[in-house]
Parts: sequence; C-alpha cells; structure tokens
Amino acid sequence: MSVAPALQANATLERYRTLFEERFTSGPLLEARRDALDAFLKRGFPTQRDEQWKYTSLRRLEARTFVLGEAAPVSLEPARRPWITHGGGFRLVFVNGHWAPALSSPMAQPPGVTLVTLGEWVKHEPDAVLEYLAQASHRSASALEQLNAAFFEDGLVIRLSPNARVDDPIHVVHVWTSTTRPAMAHPRVLVRAGHHSSCTLIEQYVCCGEPESFTNVVAILDLEEGAQVQHYRLQQESPKAFHIGHIDVCVRRDARYGIHDFSLGATLSRLNIRVRLQEPGAHTDLHGLLPPSGTQHLDTHTLIEHIAPHTTSTENYRGIADGRGRGVFNGKVLVHPGAQKTDAHQSSRNLLLSPTAEFNAKPELEIYADDVKCSHGATIGQLDATALFYLRSRGISEADARVLLIHAFAHAVLASVETPAVREHLEALLAARFGSTQVTS
Amino acid sequence: MLRIDNLHVRAGEKEILTGVTLHVAPGEVHAIMGPNGSGKSTLVQVLAGREGYEVTAGSVTYQGRDLLALAPEERAREGVFLAFQYPVEIPGVNNAYLLKAALNAIRKHRGEPEVDAFEFLALVREKMKLMQMDESFLSRGVNEGFSGGEKKRNEILQMAVLEPTLALLDETDSGLDIDALRVVANGVNSLRRPDRAIVMVTHYQRLLDYIEPDKVHVLAGGRIAKTGDKSLALELEKRGYDWIKQEAA
Repeated sequence: MSVAPALQANATLERYRTLFEERFTSGPLLEARRDALDAFLKRGFPTQRDEQWKYTSLRRLEARTFVLGEAAPVSLEPARRPWITHGGGFRLVFVNGHWAPALSSPMAQPPGVTLVTLGEWVKHEPDAVLEYLAQASHRSASALEQLNAAFFEDGLVIRLSPNARVDDPIHVVHVWTSTTRPAMAHPRVLVRAGHHSSCTLIEQYVCCGEPESFTNVVAILDLEEGAQVQHYRLQQESPKAFHIGHIDVCVRRDARYGIHDFSLGATLSRLNIRVRLQEPGAHTDLHGLLPPSGTQHLDTHTLIEHIAPHTTSTENYRGIADGRGRGVFNGKVLVHPGAQKTDAHQSSRNLLLSPTAEFNAKPELEIYADDVKCSHGATIGQLDATALFYLRSRGISEADARVLLIHAFAHAVLASVETPAVREHLEALLAARFGSTQVTS
Repeated sequence: MLRIDNLHVRAGEKEILTGVTLHVAPGEVHAIMGPNGSGKSTLVQVLAGREGYEVTAGSVTYQGRDLLALAPEERAREGVFLAFQYPVEIPGVNNAYLLKAALNAIRKHRGEPEVDAFEFLALVREKMKLMQMDESFLSRGVNEGFSGGEKKRNEILQMAVLEPTLALLDETDSGLDIDALRVVANGVNSLRRPDRAIVMVTHYQRLLDYIEPDKVHVLAGGRIAKTGDKSLALELEKRGYDWIKQEAA
C-alpha cells in the first residue's frame, strides 16, 4: 500500500512523457528537449519538503492533465480585449502559447531593436537557439524550468543594439482562450539589452472567459553595461489557472533593472525572480503587489544576489489578503564574499482584510561581506483603526473609508509605475477588485 | 445645542469618566482643562464616536438628538467636527481628495448640491490663505510628512472648509510655537458664530489668551470638578490643580 502514492506520482509524470513523444518527433532541438524532459521527470514537481516550496503545494497542479495549447482565434472585439490596448507601443500577442500575428503590431522593427518570435528563431537559427539553451540550462536548472526547456514552442526574443533607446514600450501579451480541455504553455521571453540601451517591457498574462490553463514561463534578461530595463509584469490569469513564472536577470556594470510584479490572477501563482548584480554599479529595484482573495494562492519568491562590490538594491512588496486568500512573499538577499559596499533595502508590508486570510512574509539575509548596508522589515496587520476613525470623523462612510485605505496601501506600489497606460489599466483593475468609493471627489 | 448629562465611560476595565455633566449653548466657547489622565481627550473622542469606549450611564443630546446612537460619519454630517490631538498620516490619499470627499458627503447629507472642482478650489484657496498654508499641501498625502504644527493647521483648515456646528478641539495648541499658535487661533476665531459652539481641550492657559472662552471647566477624577470664567484659567496657571482635587474630594 505504501508504494501507491509514488506509483501514482510517476503515472502523472509519465503523462508528460507521452505528451512529449506525441508533439516532438524530430528537429535539431529534439535531443536538448529530451535531456530537459529527463531532468524534469527525474526530479518531478517540487514538494513542500523543499524549503523553497514550504508554503506552496503543487499537488493540485500535479494531479491535473493538460494538453498542449493550440492556436485559436480571439473573437472579442478590440474594445473588450482584456489587455492594454492603447499606448502600448509595440504589441506582440500570443494566444494559447502561439504567436498571433493578426493581433500583433506589424513587425516593423523600431530602430535599434530586433524583435523575433521564438518560433521563428528556432526555425531560422536552430544552432543559435541550441547554443543559447546550453547556456540557459546552467542558469535555470530547477525542475519546472527544465519542464519549460522540454516543451517551449514560442515566445519572444528582444535584442537591443548598443545605445538604442526605445521610448515606446514593448508589450508582450499571453492570452488564454476558452479551451475544451485544460491546456498548458511554456513560453519564453529573452531580452538582451546591449550596452547603454534602454527599454520598457510590459508582460501581460490574460484570459478570455475562465479557461483551465497552466502557464510555465521562463524570462531571461541580460543587461550589458549601462543598460536600463523597466519591466512591468501583470499576471491576470483565469480563476482556474495555474501560473508559474521564472525571471532570471543578469545586471552588468552600472546597468539598472526594475521589475513591477502585479500578481493578481490565477488560482495558484508562483513567481521566482532572481537578479544577479554581476558588476560594480549594478542596481535593481523590485516592486510587487500580491492581493490574494477568494481561495487564491499567490506566491512570489525573490532572490537578489550582490556578486560585485558597489551594487545596490531596493525592494518594496505589499500584500493585501482577503477572503480565504493566501499570500506568500519570500525575499532573499545574498551578499557574496567580496561584495563590499553593498547597499540593500527590503520592505514587505502586508494587510489582512479577513480573519480567514493568511500571509507568510519572510525576509532572508545571507551576508558574506563585512562592509555592507542591509536592512529589511516585514509587517503583517489589519487596516489602521485610527485612520479609519479619522476618515469617518470627516463624514466618510465606513465602507468608503476602508476602500480609501486599501487603495492608499496599494498606492505605495502603484506609484512606482511610470508608464501611464499601465498605471491606468492597473488602477481600473484595483478599483474592480477592492471597490471604488461612493464619494465624489 | 449640546447636553451631556451624568456621562459614565469606561475603556476596558478602567472607568475614565464618572459622571460628566456639561451644557453648551449655541455661540459659546468652552474650555476644558485638567491634569493629565483626567479624561479630557476621552470626552471629546467619545463625542466624535471613537470606538473602544463603553458608555455605561448618562446621555448626550446634540440638537435634540441622541448623539451616542449615531455612527462617527453621521455625527460629522450632522455638523460635529473633531480636531485631532494627533492627526493621522494617510499616505496615498491626498489632502484635496479627502477635503472634497468630506465636504461633499456633508453637503449631500444636507440636501445641498455637491461642489464642483472650481468651486472647491476657490473655497479651499481662501481658507488656506487664512491658515497661511502653501497650496502644495493639497496634492500631498493626508498629513504625510507634515510637521506637528502643519498637522494642527491642517486640522483647522479642514474645520474651516467643513464649517461644523459643534467643533471639538483636542489639544490643538500643543506642540505649536507662538506664531503657529496665533495662526491657528485666528482660524478658530474666524469660525466663531452665534449658531456655532466650540469645545476645546487644553493644558495651557496661553491658548485662552488668543481664543477667549465663555466658560472654563476643570475635569478631574472623571468629572467636572469646577466651572468658572476665564479667570479660573489664570488661577489654575498660578495654583495648579491640587486645590481643586482637594475641594472636590
């Protein structure tokens, strides 16, 4: 009897092998894919025995059977499409994991930028892809990243030439349509920002209807000397969706990487962000908002590695848990030996709106250098009773006062959003989520 | 306008007010003084509807209505205003938003049309001039990063915009330098009207040099131990509170 669960688990994993054999039968990447698949099957899905997954169980995900997503039309008229439709710059839309040219901006390349879909890249430069995969496998070695490496089909490759300054945002949309069977996709987003180049990347995960989907995306970004990338990530998947994301960033000398993580959707979401500050002067700032409600489980794990001296990081995460929602934030800062003059600040503040909501916030500092400035703070609490009374004593109803205070709390993260179209979109999403006040202002 | 009769209030196990009786007529200014911990702040907070206090006996009638039965926001809309001793910082909600929302909530309750952006700005500019406040305050978060004096000025600005019928000032003078005190007192004085009453809690006689009260009460041991005119405040300044406690005992 005791072997039954193990057998069952193997049977689950074997489904991935069957799916793989059906989909991938030839081509230059087959061997690399198979190696990745074997690595995944050997390790399986992470379990809660793994310290990194202590608060997040993937058993529900593991128990489900997914087919690979297929291209499909999006019938919604433009005004009702769930993604940012104005001021988005260069837009590339992927439907169920596949590039949808009809929904995307014409592939006219902005000066200094090369945008290629991963599908096209594999078709035309398989050797370059293989070389890239070999490099990437050193960086992204977790079981779920291996699963992505086995199954990835499409995605986006962005290359910025040295000194290229791209003012309009590059907007990548991943949309799920209603599928008859639960479906999965393993897209990739690759960014190579040449020295002193800059761009804004908007990554958006949305859905039409409430599909049962599984997204397992890997994003790899390389910022050369002096490059600047602002990365907005809006995860608005279906309430029946599983979303796993991996972001791996390498920041070179005097380059700056900023990420704004809005993990709003999915029944279960897990985002791993790893930023390596590789050379002196490298800087990163991480902003995040995790608002689990209903029975949602939203988890972001961040790892900032200060590898070189004179590197700086700031991190500001906020959680707002309602209903029976559960949030997890784990922020690790690792200061390598010799990374003197590191300056790292982290703040995680979390709000519980209901007695059944839960938040696990954990800062982790690991420091192997002695001349550094590191600080962290994590708080978990309820709406401030004094502030509520203050607003009510000015004639504002209790319900409106609550809404005002919740928005004010989220504002600390929203304020980091500089692209107006993204900010307006988020404001509308948060108003729909937390309600808007009845007062006229 | 305000009738407090035999008010008993406790917070948890602790009895704080033990039978306060105080009647305030329209147009009057009352000062409430008293030693630390005598229940001055509790009294005005209970009047404004702060939670966490239990009224165990007595009554409070405001314009003929049972004040204690109303929620804090209903009291505000009926014209009660509390200037906080420690105004709360609320980053993310800007001052102009709060002021306009509050003003419109009150106007709506009175059956008056809501003010539009132009009317509002004109009104606030005028009042800000009175309070010698810079217009940049409007776009900042509520009390965010304000100095102690700026926070107190902002309270009186709100009061000037909302034009309450009953204004409760909780140690509005504490932490103010002499110039700021003069500005705040000016603001309060400009609001004195025959149909408006003001109850101010203070530690110091000096506020009363600027805002002349009709009556001065000493709150000691949870009740009004002595009532007089402004000469009582001068006497307190000289003799302290002990003689009143002894007299009351």
